Amino acid sequence: MPAATELQAWEVFRQEKDGDPMRHGGSVMAPDAELATHYARELFGRRQESVRLWVVRRGDIHDVADPDLLQPPLDRSFKKPGGYLMRDKLAAARAISGESKPGARPPRRTPST
Amino acid sequence: MAVVPKVALGELLRSMADDEFVIGFSDSEWTGIAPILEEDIAMSSLAQDEIGHAAALYGLLGTLLDEDPDALAYDRRPQEYRHCRLLDHGRGDWAMAIARRYLYDSADAVRLEALAGGAWEPLADLVGKLIREERYHRMHVGAWLERLAHDDGEARTRLLVALRQLQHDAATVFAPLPDEVALIEAGILAAPMPELEGRWRQAIGPTFAELDLPMPPAAAQPERGRLDHGDAFDWLWREFTSVRRSEPGVSW
Repeated sequence: MPAATELQAWEVFRQEKDGDPMRHGGSVMAPDAELATHYARELFGRRQESVRLWVVRRGDIHDVADPDLLQPPLDRSFKKPGGYLMRDKLAAARAISGESKPGARPPRRTPST
Repeated sequence: MAVVPKVALGELLRSMADDEFVIGFSDSEWTGIAPILEEDIAMSSLAQDEIGHAAALYGLLGTLLDEDPDALAYDRRPQEYRHCRLLDHGRGDWAMAIARRYLYDSADAVRLEALAGGAWEPLADLVGKLIREERYHRMHVGAWLERLAHDDGEARTRLLVALRQLQHDAATVFAPLPDEVALIEAGILAAPMPELEGRWRQAIGPTFAELDLPMPPAAAQPERGRLDHGDAFDWLWREFTSVRRSEPGVSW
């Protein structure tokens, strides 16, 4: 084991209960993985608020923040579903079939038009 | 179990509760001044765990003797506490805190193993839970002991100084208890204290050898290992009883 080295940042992800996704909880500073897991346990688990922790050296994370990759300059709106006006078509189909919108509240009054 | 050896059991519970109480308070003195923020939180949390263990043990003692657990914890004179003298050296520096905690936690683990599955169910139940919590404590302090011992400068020197200061009291966790034979006969304690001390030496021997640290010698006066607490404990006692003593008898 190396002698006491410099502190590094470790990112901590935690799972609140079985089946939940791992969510970023925060970070701790520690010289190595062993102490990082101990500190993660104390900061994100000492009140029994986690059932699992992932502790990742910040330097091991592949960071992607390049605007050319993530925010390209040309219009990309055609890749979003918002361009398709499905609402009116669905309403028309429901009117024909006589079904109400899934999860919709029962109508309070008959629409005037 | 036919008859609970009440007096001997009381002495055992008192010694364990006082141990946890005193090391909890000693370690809580690091709150705000530990080496880094993360360690500050970790040490404070460990200290709180120990106070929690003490509260559970004083609770059992209170039930056994029909006394108030708070009164047991706070209303005795310093010379009436029965923690081991290993815990009577004052806070010291960080190496001292780690050395003391390593020696205590490793000894406490052996003691807990000897009580697990014992015949007095309330204690056996509690011991099962304590073992699970103390496991993490030992991982934490073990990591620190290794780091201090492997350093080739001031950290190792300070660790050696601390171990030297503690060495004659290191084994006092295993100071014989009054009438511990009764506990063994009742099936509450698995083996006499000198035998537990032997198990403890076997348990820590490999770590001390690997880290090239001197094994602590036998206690000079084992029978006084939980008596004669001295000035450092007087100071600590005044600290942890100060609020309680400020308004005796009121309800907090």
